[in-house]
Amino acid sequence: MRPEELLDQLKQKFGEAITEGEVKGVEVRLTVKPESSWEVCRFLRDVGFEYLNCLSGADWMSHLEVVYDLSSLQHPNKVHLRVPLNRENPVIRTVTNIWRAANWHERECYDLFGVRFDGHPDHRRILLPEDWVGYPLRKDYADERLVPYTDYGMEEKLPKPEAAAGAPKAASPPKAPAPPRPTES
Amino acid sequence: MEGERPIPIGTTAVIERTGETMEEMYLNMGPQHPSTHGVLRLLLKLDGEYITDCIPYIGYLHRCHEKIGENRNYTQVIPYTDRLDYLASMSMNFGYVLTVERLMGVKVPERAEYIRVIMAELQRIASHLIWLATFGLDLGNFTIFIYCFREREMILDLFEAASGQRLNYSFYRIGGVAMDFPDDWVANCKAFLDWFKQRLPEYDALMGDNVLFQKRAQGVGICDPKVAVDYALSGPMIRSCGIQWDLRRHDPYSIYDRFEFEIPAFDTCDVWARYMVRRREMAESARIVEQALAQLPSGEVMAKVPKNIKPPAGQIYCRTESPRGELGFYIISDGSTKPYRYKVRSPAYVNLSALPEMLKGCLVADVVAVLGSVDIVLGEIDR
Repeated sequence: MRPEELLDQLKQKFGEAITEGEVKGVEVRLTVKPESSWEVCRFLRDVGFEYLNCLSGADWMSHLEVVYDLSSLQHPNKVHLRVPLNRENPVIRTVTNIWRAANWHERECYDLFGVRFDGHPDHRRILLPEDWVGYPLRKDYADERLVPYTDYGMEEKLPKPEAAAGAPKAASPPKAPAPPRPTES
Repeated sequence: MEGERPIPIGTTAVIERTGETMEEMYLNMGPQHPSTHGVLRLLLKLDGEYITDCIPYIGYLHRCHEKIGENRNYTQVIPYTDRLDYLASMSMNFGYVLTVERLMGVKVPERAEYIRVIMAELQRIASHLIWLATFGLDLGNFTIFIYCFREREMILDLFEAASGQRLNYSFYRIGGVAMDFPDDWVANCKAFLDWFKQRLPEYDALMGDNVLFQKRAQGVGICDPKVAVDYALSGPMIRSCGIQWDLRRHDPYSIYDRFEFEIPAFDTCDVWARYMVRRREMAESARIVEQALAQLPSGEVMAKVPKNIKPPAGQIYCRTESPRGELGFYIISDGSTKPYRYKVRSPAYVNLSALPEMLKGCLVADVVAVLGSVDIVLGEIDR
C-alpha cells in the first residue's frame, strides 16, 4: 500500500479524529485525537504495521504528546503518530494489547512524563526509584543539581556558583555545586 | 502477570495446584551478580527448579541521559552517547550524528562515510567478541574469554591509533569524523583482518563444536518468531528467530548499499541460534571492512558545517543497526542550538523486555545462558 492510499483510508475511516496528516517520503505523519488513538493503532497494526519501533513522550508546555513510530518487516512504509494530551490530566489508552513492545516504553513514558496509560498491565515507574517525586523530562521540572546549559561565549553572563547555590541540601555533601565548566570551542 | 505486584521479596507463598500443593518460591538474582553484566535485578518466580515468571528491575544505572541531552548543544551530546553502550561507542556515535545530519540535511564526504562504516563494523566485531567472551565465561568456558579478549585488544589498538581513545571514542562528528586515519592504519587493519579470519575456526572449536556448550544452548530460551515481532526485538535477537531483518539492508543508511554481505539467520529460535548468528556476523563484518578498505577514496573527512549547529525545526526518528539491534534516536528540534526533545530507543532495553517470555519454563541453571544470549549492556538500558 502506498503511503498516500493509507492516509486516504485513515481519513475515510476515522474522519474528524485525524486532525493532521501528511506524507513525507515513505512516512505518514499523523496527529490523532486521544479518544480514538487506540482504534487508529489497532487499524494500523491490522494493515501491516506490526512493528512498534519507539514510543516516546514530548512536553510542549501547552500540552503533552505521546509519539508512536511504527514500521513493518514486510514493506518500507512507516507511520509517525502523534497524540496530544491534556497537561493537567494526561491519560491515554494503553497499546500494550496491540504491541507488547509498548509495555516498557509506556512505563518509561509514565516515569519521565507522568502520562498515565489506561489499562496497562504493570503500571509502575521503571527507571527512577519508586518513591521519586515529579516527572523529570517535563520542561518545568526543577532540580538544583542540574548544571545549566552554557552557550558559546555566554559563560560570564551566568550567575556566580556561590550566589546560585542557595541553601545546601541536608543530604548532599557540604560543598557547593560544581561551577559550570566552560565549553571548549 | 497482572494483579500480583508489589510482590513481597524474601517471603514464600503457597499456591494451590491441582492434585498437589507445591511451594512457590521467589529468587532474587542481582543487582550484584557477575552474570547480569552490570546492575540488573531479576526476580524469579520458581516452581521447584522451573521458572514460572520473571520480573526484571532496571534503572540502577540511570543517569538522566535524555535530560542531559536536552541541556547541551548538539555537539556536546556526542561524548554522552559514548557512555550509552560502552562496548559499542562507535555505533552509538554513528546513530546520533546520522540523526542530526538527516535533520540538517548535511552531506558527508565520501571518505568520511567509508571511515565511519569501517569503524562501525570493527566495533561490531569487538562488541560480539566481548559478548562471546563473557558468554563463554558465564557457561564455564574460560579459554574462549582469553582468546576473544586477545582479538578485541587488537581492535582497540586500531581504534586508539585512529581516535586516541580506547573505549569512549567520540570519533564521529556532525558532518564527518574527527580526523583521518594515520599513515599505516590501513595496512595494520588489513593485517588484523587476515589474522582475525584465521581465528574464527578457533572459536568454533572452543564453543560451537563443544558438546557441553551445545547441550547447554540448544533448545533453551525459545522465543517464538511471532513473539519476537510483537516485542519488536531487533538485531541478532530477531535474526535468531529465523527472520532476516537487518537495517543495513532493509532500511539502508550511510553507504551500506554498496557492500556485499549476508544476513545470517537461524530458525531454531534458541540460545544456540543467537550464538550462531553473532558468530557468523563477525565474519560478515570482516567482509564489509575488507571491501570498504579496498574502495576507500581519498579526500576530506569533514563537511562544511557551521560551528553552532542549529537544525531547522522539526522532528525525526532515525534508526541504525547497532551490534545489539535497532538503535533509534528521536530528536525534536525547535531551531535552537540544543535538542528540544532527545530520546534514545536502545536495542537492549527492548530486547530485555522480552526476557520473561524466554525464561518461562526454563530451569534455574539456564537463566544465565538465556540472559547472556540477549547480550545486554546496562549502560544503554538504564540510560
